[in-house]
Amino acid sequence: MDLWRYISRRLVQIVIIFFVILTVLFMVFRLAPGDPITRMVDPDMTPEDAALLISQLGLDQPLHVQYLYYVKNFFVGNFGDSFHYGQPVLDIIKHRLPNTILLFTTSIILSALVGVFLGKIASWHKGKKIDSGMTIGALVTHTLFLPWLALLLIWIFAYKLGWFPITGMVSEDIWLDPTSGLWQKALDVGHHLVLPLGTLFLFHFGSYLLIMRSSMLETLKEDYILTARAKGLTEKVIRNRHAAPNAALPVVTTVGLSLAFSINGGALTETVFTWPGIGRELVFSVSQNDYPLAQATFLLITLVVLISNLVVDVLYAYLDPRIRY
Amino acid sequence: MRIWIPGSGIKRDTTKGMAEEKPQRRRIHWIANFQEGWSIYKQNILGRIGLVLLVIFALMALSSFIPPLIDPMYHPMTGVDPVISSSTGPSLKHWLGTDFMGRDILSQLLAGARIAFMVGVSAAFMSIFLGTAIGMISGYMGKFVDTFLMRLAEVIMVMPTLLVTLILAALFGQLSIWAIVLVIALFRWPGVSRVIRAQTLSLKQRPFIEAAKVAGASHFRIIFRHIMPNVLPLSFLYMTFRVTSAITIEAALAFLGFGDPSTVSWGMMLQWVWKTGHMFKAPYWLLPPGICISLITLSFYMLGRAMDEVLDPRLRREG
Amino acid sequence: MALLEVENLSIGYSTKKGFLKAVEGVSFSLDEGRSLGFVGESGCGKTTLGMALMGLLPPNGSITGGKIILEGEDLIEKSEDEMRKIRWKKISMIFQAAMNALNPVKRVHDQIAEAILTHNPNLEKEEALRRVAKLFQLVGLPENRMRDYPHQYSGGMKQRAIIAMALSCNPRLIIADEPTTALDVIVQHQILEETKNLQKELELSIIFISHDISIVADVCDTIGIMYAGQLVEYGSREEVFDNPMHYYTRALISSYPTLSGQKRQLLPIPGESPNLIEPPLGCRFCDRCDGSGDSCKIGPPEWVDITPTHRALCGLCLK
Repeated sequence: MDLWRYISRRLVQIVIIFFVILTVLFMVFRLAPGDPITRMVDPDMTPEDAALLISQLGLDQPLHVQYLYYVKNFFVGNFGDSFHYGQPVLDIIKHRLPNTILLFTTSIILSALVGVFLGKIASWHKGKKIDSGMTIGALVTHTLFLPWLALLLIWIFAYKLGWFPITGMVSEDIWLDPTSGLWQKALDVGHHLVLPLGTLFLFHFGSYLLIMRSSMLETLKEDYILTARAKGLTEKVIRNRHAAPNAALPVVTTVGLSLAFSINGGALTETVFTWPGIGRELVFSVSQNDYPLAQATFLLITLVVLISNLVVDVLYAYLDPRIRY
Repeated sequence: MRIWIPGSGIKRDTTKGMAEEKPQRRRIHWIANFQEGWSIYKQNILGRIGLVLLVIFALMALSSFIPPLIDPMYHPMTGVDPVISSSTGPSLKHWLGTDFMGRDILSQLLAGARIAFMVGVSAAFMSIFLGTAIGMISGYMGKFVDTFLMRLAEVIMVMPTLLVTLILAALFGQLSIWAIVLVIALFRWPGVSRVIRAQTLSLKQRPFIEAAKVAGASHFRIIFRHIMPNVLPLSFLYMTFRVTSAITIEAALAFLGFGDPSTVSWGMMLQWVWKTGHMFKAPYWLLPPGICISLITLSFYMLGRAMDEVLDPRLRREG
Repeated sequence: MALLEVENLSIGYSTKKGFLKAVEGVSFSLDEGRSLGFVGESGCGKTTLGMALMGLLPPNGSITGGKIILEGEDLIEKSEDEMRKIRWKKISMIFQAAMNALNPVKRVHDQIAEAILTHNPNLEKEEALRRVAKLFQLVGLPENRMRDYPHQYSGGMKQRAIIAMALSCNPRLIIADEPTTALDVIVQHQILEETKNLQKELELSIIFISHDISIVADVCDTIGIMYAGQLVEYGSREEVFDNPMHYYTRALISSYPTLSGQKRQLLPIPGESPNLIEPPLGCRFCDRCDGSGDSCKIGPPEWVDITPTHRALCGLCLK
């Protein structure tokens, strides 16, 4: 089926793009003031450890050899050691990545689904109060400044009302207690997830709502909707089974196009909520001049964006048969 | 979309009934088109609100020079009230209160407006300039140039602008405000260029371009004299969206602590509130900058939507 | 009793500029197993007429007078729910293939089965699909293409699928709105032949709407000529063709070339159709008519019976 050909073509494109970014990062690191050795080797390391690291990363070799070492190290997972944590970078990001994926994917899926649903309803009742209300609400929420929205939500719901914890992903007492069950731990994470998820959700669902709304209004003017009416179908069936599947396609495209933008928001949210993900780690490492960690987290985030792009493309191909056949 | 054919002095046959226009008539057409566009714009309530808000912000920016002239203690960065050295609430002397160092919040807010416009407009302008040029060249030239530029655009689009700026800050040290503007512009052009390229591709097929080619116009001339005027309205539309993203990126950077320390922007103000632990205690300090950033984003967005209606007749409301 | 009787039907649209009287005082009747064709230029109201018969006028359209009596029941009196049951079961429609009449994200057989299942809720899906297969055979579509999506079909195939869909609930009356426009001539001919065969085989009544009088003359027993919202001539195809009485009909026939007969000058019809928001008091064709007299402008023309089955809306035509 053409779907596999399509996926493999996209996969190849993504790999190429990633390599380009990898290479550009390599060059930028070399171009910046200062030398790469001080950048990758912790000044507090013992000379033996430093020498070992330098040979592992090939920092004493000519440039083109360095590049080969660089690429190989990326695939092997050797990013050097974090200055701040004193541990291999790989260990740190291994733990952070799932947290980011949890927050990122749930926020996108939730805001897309709700945005599509509400946008559909808004187009239904075009011109009436419910439509204006939703449109204005969407307009306002998606122009709010994200970190500020986060601070507001913390202030109201965590500080004043005390419903949710202010920061972090877990409560230490539950996780450190050996008698806590899996369900308890999961609930705890969920409890901590509400505010950051809520922030991202509020920020993103607005644009999906607006796009779905205008897409539905366009779709309802199409000829096949007239056919559906002529066949004697009820309005509800027409909107849900004929119009909505077509109208939702531009939303999927938009999700794909704005993934880089969404991850910006993800990093900001993680920072404000001290959610231990790779976004926050990137911000933190930059402020600490922890170059190995910064480089690795940046590359990983780019990879996350690229893979999400692929997922969205595949989803679109699945939903729109005109691409597949 | 209206098509302007500049009176270029080249003799050409009347294609589709469009005759060569004398320069004066062209100017009058411009005015007439602008007036019509304005009347459509005025009808859109979003556009009106957006414009009003923007005027308010512009006034804020302009009046940011006033407070320090009244009294040096009102200077946003260095002004220190001899009496107050901590964060206090609104008072007669300080209408919005003071920050943790005793500096006046209102004057900081006004200065922030100035920075917002500066960053927003210049970054947007640069990215639009780049995006339009690249879009036109890409669409017009086709083949290798097109493929190369569009692949480049793809790579850039995948990278999250904010995080890229962070990495650059890590490597090159503290970035000045103009460096930030430049980086934003360099990473924001792909979105515009795609749209401009599509428009260029459709314009390329039109008879008046063929006519120009036949008359012997060089590629350069065709692009800048014939295609650009028809593509510019779209560029301006996208500029409004670019301004908002530039302002938000600068604010986010400042918020995270990577802004230019010699400037007072709204993002910087939020950073101070946050980092000095005042966010729960000082709503007079927390709320104004956030509201300003959000409102200016909203107003540019509304401006953009109203302009969209002017440019695309299909969006205009029926009866 | 005739299958369909339309008495004095008038339909209009509310627009920004006023109320547009699209159809005015149209009356005709159709017997079972017979075909009736409506011919006219764009904007004459023939499509509006078809839509009104199905109850598919857009929100700004309304029936301002008259009756539509199908099998003894007045369709105008029916509620939306009742119309929904009648639609497709008693009257169905064949749209232009060039239109996006089929939903691009649904498989063709599902769309046809949907029509069947809507009107036969107790039917099993497999049974519905079996019926779809039979319909495919009937219209000459290969069964192995049932699972395809609409974009995979050629224009002719799409038209056949639309015909199959229209036949799916065994309607008494089919309205075909420009079903062969935008198809190439050979396919057009095939479709028309098949339509005639299907009509005979299934004893269908067809209302055929077209701007092309030659097609209508091929397929239909009776022809109605429409101009500016009014029916101006009505009769059997032989009568209308061999003996056109209304000046518009005469002009229409002479604007079409023929293979047989004498070579003659093709005469276009000068002028434009009248404004239907404020139609003229007299005959609507007056300005473009080469046989008009003073009486034509003063008051509305009256029907003149040329034979018991042939009438024309023109006071001067017999002279």
